[in-house]
Formats: sequence, structure tokens, C-alpha cells
Amino acid sequence: MDKLEFSSWNGKVVDNRKGKAKKASRAAAVPFPAPVRGEKAAAVMGWNGLVVLEPGADVPSLTVQYLKEIRKISCGECSVCMIGIDMLLDIFKDMADGEGFESDLAEVEKIVRDVAANAKCNFGQSALFPVSDAVKHYRADFVAVVKGDRKIDGKAYGTAVTAPCIEACPASLDIPGYIEYIKNNRFSDSLGLIRKNCILPGVIGRTCTHPCESACVRKDLDGSLSIRLLKRAAADFERKEKSAPLPVPSGAKDGKVAVIGSGPAGLAAAYNLRRKGYGVTVFETLPEAGGMAAVGIPDYRLPLDILRHEIGLIGDMGVEIALNSGIGKIDMDDFRKKGYQALFLAVGAHAGNRMGVKGEETKCDGLVDGVEFLRDLNLGKKIAPKKKVLIIGGGNVAIDCARSCVRLGFKDVEILYRRSRAEMPARLEEIEGAEEEGVKIRYLTAPLEVVSKSGKFSCLNCIRMKLGKPDESGRKRPEPVKGSEHVVEADLVISAIGQSAVIPVTASKKSLSVNKNGTVKVDPKTMMTSVEGIFSGGDCVTGPATLIEAIAAGNMAAEGIDLYLRGEAAGGGLSFDGVDLKSQRAGGYVVKEGAEAVPFLEMAKRTTGFGEVEGGFSHAGAMEEAKRCLRCYRVAVWEKGK
Amino acid sequence: MVNIVINGRKEKAKEGATILEVAREKKLDIPTLCYHKDLSPFGACRLCTVEVKTNGKWQMVPSCNTPVENGMEIATDSEKVLENRKAVAEMLYYRYPETEAVREMAERLGVDVFSEKGEEHDCILCGLCVRTCKEIVGVSALSFEDRGPERDLEEPRIGFDPNACIGCGSCAFVCPTGFVTMEAVDDKRIIWNKVFQMTECAVCGKYFAPEDQLKYISRTTGVPFAKLTTCSNCR
Repeated sequence: MDKLEFSSWNGKVVDNRKGKAKKASRAAAVPFPAPVRGEKAAAVMGWNGLVVLEPGADVPSLTVQYLKEIRKISCGECSVCMIGIDMLLDIFKDMADGEGFESDLAEVEKIVRDVAANAKCNFGQSALFPVSDAVKHYRADFVAVVKGDRKIDGKAYGTAVTAPCIEACPASLDIPGYIEYIKNNRFSDSLGLIRKNCILPGVIGRTCTHPCESACVRKDLDGSLSIRLLKRAAADFERKEKSAPLPVPSGAKDGKVAVIGSGPAGLAAAYNLRRKGYGVTVFETLPEAGGMAAVGIPDYRLPLDILRHEIGLIGDMGVEIALNSGIGKIDMDDFRKKGYQALFLAVGAHAGNRMGVKGEETKCDGLVDGVEFLRDLNLGKKIAPKKKVLIIGGGNVAIDCARSCVRLGFKDVEILYRRSRAEMPARLEEIEGAEEEGVKIRYLTAPLEVVSKSGKFSCLNCIRMKLGKPDESGRKRPEPVKGSEHVVEADLVISAIGQSAVIPVTASKKSLSVNKNGTVKVDPKTMMTSVEGIFSGGDCVTGPATLIEAIAAGNMAAEGIDLYLRGEAAGGGLSFDGVDLKSQRAGGYVVKEGAEAVPFLEMAKRTTGFGEVEGGFSHAGAMEEAKRCLRCYRVAVWEKGK
Repeated sequence: MVNIVINGRKEKAKEGATILEVAREKKLDIPTLCYHKDLSPFGACRLCTVEVKTNGKWQMVPSCNTPVENGMEIATDSEKVLENRKAVAEMLYYRYPETEAVREMAERLGVDVFSEKGEEHDCILCGLCVRTCKEIVGVSALSFEDRGPERDLEEPRIGFDPNACIGCGSCAFVCPTGFVTMEAVDDKRIIWNKVFQMTECAVCGKYFAPEDQLKYISRTTGVPFAKLTTCSNCR
């Protein structure tokens, strides 16, 4: 464990230097942003304080480097932050040039106080405190600079910029950044910034589970920023104004990459690789590209033309998307012969799980798998409504099936879920939307047996459940209530209790290493599988997860593939694990105002068709909502250690 | 109406009014550079910062942007506020020492400044022009670009574009430093380095408004262009 020389993190001073009391000598006791395993830092200056790990760390030079980095984040909307940072840099430059005075150090502390007291956003209110900590606790080092006994040197530095929302986002989008552009009426610039990490903003702006909003500092004040809808606003703006093509790669790289699967993971990898100049071919088994976004999510949540438009832009960049081209068996040597130097496996998890009940395997017309049901619906198959349908499950697939059944004309739509509402994994907006549309939800009920006669579905034997101790997922385990067996009648049963990945077979001596649940094993740093040249990501690696996680995986895989093909290794970074990103040394007064509202399709129109239910922000509404962002940027700069 | 205490005096104030609005109504001096009563507050200059006590805690808040609340205690001229105001003015003067509007404000607030009048007309990023163009004119031809010290105003686009500059000159009118200028040369107006054809009054013959501005008014109100070619003196 690293020893701690000094820390002022969170405003708590721990000073272990010669002659000072020994307290919390282990670095682990202070939750500051630390270098990832294998990397070393001599000192870290971050928004909440200064942490020094090696006695020889160059605090004055680190301070100047920190100021240079935060200067890039200062937005200039309020005078004090942008001017204050430049005033501080001028003071330190004068010191380094031999034109400074010891009394300047008091001026530094005053400027830090003045900026914190007057700055408009969370960034300006908090970012300068460690500079004050440095001149206060390492005064002798700064005085040495003034006297000319010490230089301000360039060392090897690392920089990390995050925010509570950025850290919560699986794809690490620069959320305050793209919101800032919208606030300044620069929707196209906002979209450009979003596309650096998320190539499907129209899709994600409609369907994301938005972990960023749960992390938003405003959540506990007057409601989170509607970050998801702001992303949608940027995408919608471009569609309304006119579409701009995605940037064409400047140089062509030697080499092609094959991508198996055109879902969000595959598309994100394809886009990023193409942007770097590689030739990319995406092989898609279905007649429609988009993976779960196309065949899983119904049109009332995500209109197909939005997805087709965004995929079209990727195609226009030169990415080849081959539909109806499933790859059942992966022969890496064969791919290499065709010119593909690497392969990204992103087949998702499209096989519906079995409920594991008696009678399930008997073929009957009234039992269908949820994923298959949605895929048929989304690929245009005509589904005749019946009177009563039961949907087994509590996730987004179950809700999607239920709300689709309402729109298809099923008169009685009921969800059976084995736990209670609190444990339902579906998005709350979806559950509420379903209830508003007349979907019934029966909690604490699970199927026992599918009863059918001569290929015709008869009824479902069920049992009531009660909640016991939590299981591995952290949710209370459902336990059957003895003697509570009952029959539920229906015309159709849709089973939507989860999906699994079906991995293509590899034709090589070494086969793909998979986990017990059938998902592919990858090195989390490189995204490579056990087979050289084959990378993987998305649902086929993690099991069913979210679209944004798949996009993040595609982004990372593109990086991993690029490094692999160039023969380079990934660089180190800073980890914010365990660091409280919401806390800052001082804050401003926030005037409470709730989020802007968006229009919803009237109820009567909702259930009679598949038109989009949720509307987006108007141009002005988006700019108003964007003003609420507090810009909680957190910057950390570290001197790389020995 | 809400009950507040401002500089030790019990007062009544309209609910939802900002501290600055209430203070100015009561003739209390709070200096500003980026505020205009007809525009939404922006909070760029930070000169209007005052002290406020709510929930038992004294804090510094921008008065242009903070609504009064029942029971709020406000100090607009305490030593802390005055010192802070001077510090903010000092920062503005540090960056824009040659711009007269800033020099004058800094001098007023006790900052040590040069006695000669400033000759420059820097853009101090107050946003008055941007807000005017959006909220009063309704065109949104102006916006900020870039960040931090590199932040500046983007030249407005003109042309057949909903966010097109109509040459009305409202931005020049509202600019506190003289950064935005407007020139009249014969039958043309030059603003933002763009040339606008002026229309002459059908009655007195004086050039009174850019053609683009009248076309915009015609488009948005439905009044035919021909009916708009009379200047305000001759109507």
C-alpha cells in the first residue's frame, strides 16, 4: 500500500511530513482518485484537494499544470472563474520568471476565495481550492520558486476530467459539455460532442436507462437534469434542420475488421474503427440492422426511421453492412485470408430463456417466447389479437410485449411477475406507461405448468410467491407459498424472463472461452477473447444489459482492436472508484426549479397504433433545461510516479 | 407579497421578484454590467453579488438571478459585500483595463485604476446582445462560441435562414462597451462587417430601417412590406 505524505482531500488535512504528527499514514484511508493498478503517482491535485504520495513530488509545477488543465474547462460564462484562473497563472509565471514576491502567495489565496464565492457553476465554485492548499501547506516550495532556488518544470503528467454524471455513464459521455452547447444554442456542436462516445443519439435519447440522471447533483435539489431528453433534442434538431454526414476518416489504415452483429455494440465498434480509417464490414443475420434496437424495442418507444437514419449515416461513412448474412461458424484463418485482421463478435443475447416449468417443451400454439414475439412484430409479421394474453416476466422485454399487445388489440393484457413491484427491473417510466394503458400486473405469481391438449394451449397453472432473503442479484428471493396453486386462463402466454447469448462456434484448435452462462470471456482491458484476433463485447459478453453499455463496449473494443493492430498497449489512467464525486468544498445557492416538461401522445391515440408516445423538447425548451446544469466537472491532474 | 429584511429594514416584496429588482425599486445601489430590466438575467459579470441569509446560513448570491423568499434576510452594502464587489471589479479591470465601461465601474467601486479614460471597446461577454437578439428581436442571430478565456461572440450568419441577422442594430444599442458598432454610409448600414441595404421612408425620404428588418417584420406579423415603408416620425 502506498504511504501518504500529505493530503488535504475533502478539506481534511493529513500531514505526515518530517516533524508533523503521524496520522492515516496509509493512502487507502483517504478516498482520493488514485492511479489504476500498475501505475504510480507522485502526487495528485484534484478538485477536493492535494494528495502527495512521494516526498520528492513537485507541488509548484503540479499546481501550474492543474491550472492549465482547469483553464480548458472554465466556460467563460461568468467573469470571475475565467479571469481568476488567468490571474493565478500570471502570478505563477512571474514567480517562475524571477519577478514574483512572497506576498503574491497571499494574493493566490485571496483569488481562490473570491472565485469560489462568486462563480456561477459548481466547477468555478470548487475547482480552485487545491491551489490554495498547495501554497498554504507547501509554502516553502513556492518561496523557493520566488527566490529562484526552484524551477517550475514540465514533468510527465496525466489528466482526468469527470463529473458525477460522466462517471455514471457507461460510455463516459461529456454530459456537461454537450449540455453547455445546447444552452448556447449550438445544437450541431452538441451532437458532434455526443457522437464522440455515442453514435446512436436519437436511439439512446429515447430508450436509455439514464444512470446519469440518477447521479445528477440536482436530483436531490429539485429534480435531475433531463439529460436523456437533451441528447434527443440534439439528435432531433439535426433531423429537423438537415442531416450532416458523419466525418470521413482522413487517412486509410491498412487492414479490415469484421464485425459480427449490427446491434449497438457492433455499430459503435464499426463507426469508431471506420473513423480511425479501417475498412469495416458488419455481418448481420437478420434482414434488418440494429440488433435489439431494431427487433427488440417496439416503434412506440423508438420509431424505426430514427434508427434507420442513424445506421444510414454509418453506412454513408463507408461501413459495409451485409444483411441476411449470418455467421454460424467463425473461422479466423478464413477471415484473415479474406483480408480481415481482426474480428469483433457482437451477437447479443437473442435467445429467450426457458421458464423451466412442466409442459414448456411441448409444442403448442399458445406459448411464445417474448424476444421472438417482438422480433416477429418488428420485422412486420402480422399478429392477430386474441382476447387474453399473459406475459411472464418483469423486465423491459415483458413490458414491451405487454404494451405491444395492447396496441395489437388484445383486450385483456396481464403481466405475471414472481416478485413485487419494487424488484421489477423494467424502467419505471415503462411500468407506469403500461399501467396507464390498461396493462394489469399481478405480482408475486409464478407459472408452474403449461397445460396443453393436442398442440393447443389450455391454461397456465400458477402459484403465489412470497419474498424471502436476497439472492445474488440483491433482490429478495421469491419463494412459493405452499397450497396456493391456482389456474390462470388465457389465449396466449408470452414468456419474457430473460435472454441468453448464442455464440457461434469457432473453427480453430482453440475455441472461445465462455462463462458458465454461455457468455464470452474477454480481457476487460483489451476486449480480446481467448482467441487471438477475436474481440467481443455487448450482451454476448455481459448477458442482457442496456443499449448504452453495448455502445460503450463497442467503443472500447474499437480502441482495443486499434491498439492490437498497431502493436501498442493501452495507457494508464486514474480511477474514481470509491471517490465521492458529488462532494465539493464549497457550493453556490441554487434556485429551485423543476425540469422542463415534454409532450406525450394523448392516451386515445396511444393504444390504437404504434406511434411514438413520448415527445421531445422544443428548441427553446431544450435551451431552458440546459441552463439548469450545474457543471459539476471534477478535474484531477497527477505527476506520474517513479 | 413576501416579508423580507433588507439591510436591516423589514420590507414587503413581490413574490418571485429578484433581489436586484426589489433593491432597485427601493433605490438601493447594486452595480451591474450585464443586467437589463427588459431581458432575462444572465449572471455573467458577478458584480451584483449580495449576502443572503436563508435557513440560518449567510451566503453570497447573485442578486440579479435570485428570487426573494419569505423570511429572507438580505445585505446589499455590508462590509463583506462591498469588499467582494471591489474584488470582482478588480478582476474585470485586470482583464479589460482599457475598456472605459469597466474602468469606470472599477474606479467607482474603489479599485486602483489609471485616471485616463479607456480607449478600447472589449467584448466583456456580458451577453446583452445575445439576449436582446433572442428575447426582444426574436431572431437569435448571435451566440457565444468557444469556452473560457477563448470564449467570444460568433459573427451572426445572414441569409435565408431563420436565425438570420436583420441588421436592426439592437445589439449595438444595448452593448455597454461599444464593442458592437453600427455605421451608416449612404443607403447602407454596416454592422458585424455585414452590409445591409437601408429602406427610405416613403414620406420623408430618410433611410430609417434595413430592408431585411422590414421583411422580417412583414414575415412575422403578416403586414405587407409596402405598408411598413414609413418611418416612425411620419406615421
